Amino acid sequence: MGQDTQTRDSGATARTPDDRVEDARVENYLQVLGISKDFDNFRAVNEASFSIRKGEIFALLGASGCGKSTLLRVLAGFEVPTAGSIVLDGQDIAGLPPHRRPINMMFQSYALFPHMSVEKNIAFGLKQDGMARAEIADRVAGLLKLVRMTEYARRKPHQLSGGQQQRVALARSLAKGPKLLLLDEPMGALDRKLRGEMQLEVVDIIERLGVTCVMVTHDQDEAMTMAGRIAVMDQGRICQIGEPGDIYEQPASRFTAEFIGSVNILDGRIAEDYPDYVVIAGDALETPIYVGHGVTGFAEMSCAVAIRPEKMKLSHDEPAQKYNKARGIIQDIAYFGSHSTYYVRLPSGFVMRTILLNAQRWAAEEFTWNDDVWISWGDNSGVVLTS
Amino acid sequence: MSARPRRPILPPLLMWLGFVFLYAPIVILIVYSFNESRLVTVWGGWSTKWYMELIQDQQMMDAAWRSLKIAFLTAWAAVVLGTMAGIVMVRCQRFRGRTLFSGMITAPLVMPDVIIGLSLLLLFVSMSKWIGWPEARGMVTIWIAHVTFCTAYVAVVVSSRLKDFDMSLEEAAMDLGADRLKTFLVITLPIISPALVAGWLLSFTLSLDDLVIASFVSGPSSTTLPMQVFSSVRLGVSPKINALATILVVLVSLAALLGWWLMRLEDKRMRRDMQLAARE
Repeated sequence: MGQDTQTRDSGATARTPDDRVEDARVENYLQVLGISKDFDNFRAVNEASFSIRKGEIFALLGASGCGKSTLLRVLAGFEVPTAGSIVLDGQDIAGLPPHRRPINMMFQSYALFPHMSVEKNIAFGLKQDGMARAEIADRVAGLLKLVRMTEYARRKPHQLSGGQQQRVALARSLAKGPKLLLLDEPMGALDRKLRGEMQLEVVDIIERLGVTCVMVTHDQDEAMTMAGRIAVMDQGRICQIGEPGDIYEQPASRFTAEFIGSVNILDGRIAEDYPDYVVIAGDALETPIYVGHGVTGFAEMSCAVAIRPEKMKLSHDEPAQKYNKARGIIQDIAYFGSHSTYYVRLPSGFVMRTILLNAQRWAAEEFTWNDDVWISWGDNSGVVLTS
Repeated sequence: MSARPRRPILPPLLMWLGFVFLYAPIVILIVYSFNESRLVTVWGGWSTKWYMELIQDQQMMDAAWRSLKIAFLTAWAAVVLGTMAGIVMVRCQRFRGRTLFSGMITAPLVMPDVIIGLSLLLLFVSMSKWIGWPEARGMVTIWIAHVTFCTAYVAVVVSSRLKDFDMSLEEAAMDLGADRLKTFLVITLPIISPALVAGWLLSFTLSLDDLVIASFVSGPSSTTLPMQVFSSVRLGVSPKINALATILVVLVSLAALLGWWLMRLEDKRMRRDMQLAARE
């Protein structure tokens, strides 16, 4: 990665066409173009397109049945796409069977061969390539060291714990030095506590080897922790592609806003439309909403404002600001230790979620059930959703 | 003292009744095989003379050897064909005539032996008339007949094992560069091998046991052990048969015990390993 940036900087003055071709190969290392997959009148993947930089970790995120796994299986070659093409490092691989693709996959169930020891499992792919025995032994030893499993080399998969099995599965999928690594729900089979540790460890290993990686997950925390960019999928389509921060703070659609994290969505229409701000009037609030960014739209257009609960303030006294406030009664409190979520019922009946960080001990005790409170938020807290 | 809970009487009693019902005939048979008397139902003191007579009965020994040969060859052929059929039934979800195929494969399970025997006899007779083969009925025709119905059993055993086979194992092998054939040979086959062993043993015993079908399709010089036993019993029950039956029972029990012991050993090891792995 570091090397790539360097060549780009130093070559900025005298760029040759060759450099540009090389750049394009790095930028568009994997190109997925208009992939669709039909199963008997059911469209599982609908014209999915994206491209991935070399060395990037890219996540396909969506609820179960959104087509993310099918898309991954298309990349691996287990499903033949109905339409579209896949170009990996300048080579069209859509027509290749799985065993000829320079792609390896780590399966959700790990799919370790139960009748083979850990080292035989890792060596399996290298053996298929007809590599010399001594060389295989070297490679396997290196991989075992990489995933810290050297002392378990002779064990069978059933003699390993979940986390150990996953390390072996990772080592096996990295053994052949694939151009593209696919991870199918990589933490799906682990318990919650182990998950957090393994997420960072897996990312660390993948980045150390500089492997390009596409992962599939339904867990947004996992996608945000592990991936550099995320594609949010719904009903076979890719809704939005972006870095975790973009997806969270600048959702492009109502679906993305609701799917990632928790959010209050207030329906309304544009009351005042200016280049650098809009005022939105809605039925849920008594005061209009002032949003500090421009919108491509027109006055009276119906839209929605999404406000994340942690971007709101809760107070007993009425805030001084003219816009972006609402009064209500605390209907429910969920205490999480690190933070508390308050469900505040507004006079219109709308229930607003706000999160308060418990920055000091017993901070949560300031508000209790049935308190009359004021909610307020800043100009930059809300995002206008037009779709 | 009076507070001592009463031990239940009925469940153990029922269990022992069941055991007696199942095993008393076999025990009686074994005991009578050591009978001195020529009459099967009259006790005349201990002796092993019927075992000596059995070994000297060349006809009986030939029939036993023939039956073992047929059973051995049947088991292998049935495992190969039955595995192929099982794979087609589970893996090839759509092809024309799939329902007909699985129906026909499993038909011998529900068809009476008499009908299978008779239909095969008719087949062999008309085949020898039209194409001149088989010239005469004998071991080969018995073998073909046994393979036919044993294949059905193997197909059922293998297909039920394949149904809970984790497909991602095969996909993982292909993903790592193995083609379909190689994947089948080094991944699928070893993993379903317990089903193949079970199918083999089942076929072996079914073939060894069969009387009805073999009677239809056998020829003059191809009497199997059950046929030999049956015909000699019809001339009058000899204690020799008891001796033969005892030998068979002992052999079968030993094989079953060995299998059970090996399985328990494997199971124990597996459980210990898993506990160790979980503790780490």
